[in-house]
Amino acid sequence: MAGLNKSIGLMLIMLLTLSFSVKGEDLVLVVNKNNPTSILKKTQVIDLYMGKFVAFPDGSKAIPIDLADGSETKATFYKLLVGMPLARVNAYWSRVKFSGRARPPLETDSQDETIKFIQENEFAIAYIHESNVTDDLKVVYRFDE
Amino acid sequence: MNKSGLLLRLAIVIGFSSLAIGFLSTQIFYQLTFNHEVKIAQQSITNLYKTIEATAGTAAYLAEKDLAQEVVDGLATNVVVLNAKMNFEGEEVTSNNEPFNEPRIFPISSLFEADKSIGLVTIAPNLSYIENRAKKLAMENSIAMIIQALVVTVVAIVVAFLLITQPIIKIAKALHNTIPGDGERLAFPYFHKKSELGELVQDVNVLLEKTDNQFKRERKLRQEIEGLEKRFRMLFENSVSPIILMEPRGDILLFNTAFEHTIDKLGLQLKKSYGPLLENIFCEPKALMNAVEESFAYDEIAIGEYRLLNEKSTEAFWVQVVVTNIVNEELREYHQITLHDISKRKKELETLAHQADFDKLTQLLNRQGLEKRIAHLLKEEQAFCLALIDLNWFKQVNDVYGHDSGDEILVFVADKIKKTLSPDDFGGRWGGDEFVLLLTDANVAEAKSLIIRLLTRISKPYFLRNFNENVTIGSSVGAAFYPDDGQDLQRIINLADKAMYDVKEVKNHNPEESVKFAGELTENNSIHD
Repeated sequence: MAGLNKSIGLMLIMLLTLSFSVKGEDLVLVVNKNNPTSILKKTQVIDLYMGKFVAFPDGSKAIPIDLADGSETKATFYKLLVGMPLARVNAYWSRVKFSGRARPPLETDSQDETIKFIQENEFAIAYIHESNVTDDLKVVYRFDE
Repeated sequence: MNKSGLLLRLAIVIGFSSLAIGFLSTQIFYQLTFNHEVKIAQQSITNLYKTIEATAGTAAYLAEKDLAQEVVDGLATNVVVLNAKMNFEGEEVTSNNEPFNEPRIFPISSLFEADKSIGLVTIAPNLSYIENRAKKLAMENSIAMIIQALVVTVVAIVVAFLLITQPIIKIAKALHNTIPGDGERLAFPYFHKKSELGELVQDVNVLLEKTDNQFKRERKLRQEIEGLEKRFRMLFENSVSPIILMEPRGDILLFNTAFEHTIDKLGLQLKKSYGPLLENIFCEPKALMNAVEESFAYDEIAIGEYRLLNEKSTEAFWVQVVVTNIVNEELREYHQITLHDISKRKKELETLAHQADFDKLTQLLNRQGLEKRIAHLLKEEQAFCLALIDLNWFKQVNDVYGHDSGDEILVFVADKIKKTLSPDDFGGRWGGDEFVLLLTDANVAEAKSLIIRLLTRISKPYFLRNFNENVTIGSSVGAAFYPDDGQDLQRIINLADKAMYDVKEVKNHNPEESVKFAGELTENNSIHD
């Protein structure tokens, strides 16, 4: 009995790890292929999305694209990026909005719309499922790194 | 109030100890409260920081000076905060100009990257306020504690007084006022019937009971002893015989009234000592002393009859002396002397002796008396002449004139005998009308002369007053010498008797021929009987 329980527990842990890694591996940050930036650090991604420093390393202004609330992908993204649930992220923004200096990223309704926006805009940046990456896009950050 | 009284002592001990404990505990408690309050104030500063941590984090992250200003101003409005400042990205935002003494410094961690510090929040605690508040609270607590200690002390004293001290004091007072033997018992204090105090009272009462009984016993014993003493005293004082207790040296320790009377009777002064064994009041103290010494040597009571010195009268004062040697428990020696007055008995005995030896009518020695004297002379081997006198015609006088007249004649003859004899000689009535003379150291001539002188006197006429008549009595005398005529009384008497009968046959009126000596008897006559 004990042996059986132990093996079931082990299997569960393996399954969970597998699904998490699949999801994490899934999300990547992409820019227009014409964007000179080729790679970003996690801190740079945080600064971009949390409104501290909304620009690429070369100094050109960046346009971070976000998904609307209710998206599971959005929640996963923030969890991976700053380790916060969406509610806290929103609370942060509601605090910051009043100061006027920082603004939350633009929101799109879907990934298709996001991809389209990046294809049209050289300074945009967004997070998408890796499976949706097209030739027009350039991956600058992966969460599994 | 008693300085060493239980209540005072208890109050002092409780008071002092509560004061000491109160003082110490308030000191400690004050310090503890103070420290606690300071700690709470510091904790509240930490909590303050916690509440602004997110805002401060945001301000520091975005380098928002306005937001930071809001944060530090907000902090500074708190009473425990004197001043606050924020440092981030080379910027410093301060609330006011107060100095930063003993500041609390909190690093601001990045909101999004936990390991990253993005600035500092420095809070200057309002130290004076914190300390004052802590002092105030500590003081209030201390006062509350002192009041509590006081109340507890008073309650403790009151309870101790009511529960322990008062009953003990009650018991002690009751015991103090208890007179053993009067039958009183201690009362049980309230609510203490079964406590140790109750047991104490119980035990004390048992002890009192025992003491009471002992007192009763002793009182009874004392009464008995008193009664006994009274009786002894009565016995001693009322004793007719003098009783004296003295030391062997002669100092009198105790004497009774009878002794006083005796001393008085002897015409002596009452003194402390009359010498050992009262020697000064005896006629022959030496004899008494020897006798006592001898008796004591044999561990016996000395008893003897001795004559007392009598300065008042010539009458002989004889006493039986009983001397007892007493040795008491401390091995001290005493002499107890009892004197019994035997003067009367002695006198009676003398009278009796006299009566036995003398003839009542003539007051001359009777036959027994004469025989005693003769025995004495024989024993002493003293020479004497025995003359036997027999009256002539006495029977006839008796018959004619009666016994009274006969007695008169006998008294007349005895009177003549008394008048004729020298003091060394004895005369006596042998019986009936026979008289005897005992002439000591006399020779025949002397004896004869005396006898003739006596016979001459007897042969004179005697006037019988009752009959108004003269009667003449003659007598015949026979005499014998000791030891010349005989060696024993019987022989002497026989010889005298024979000689007397020789004369009587003649019944001569001539006195000179009315005497015959044994030596004059013929051989024939001498062996007559």
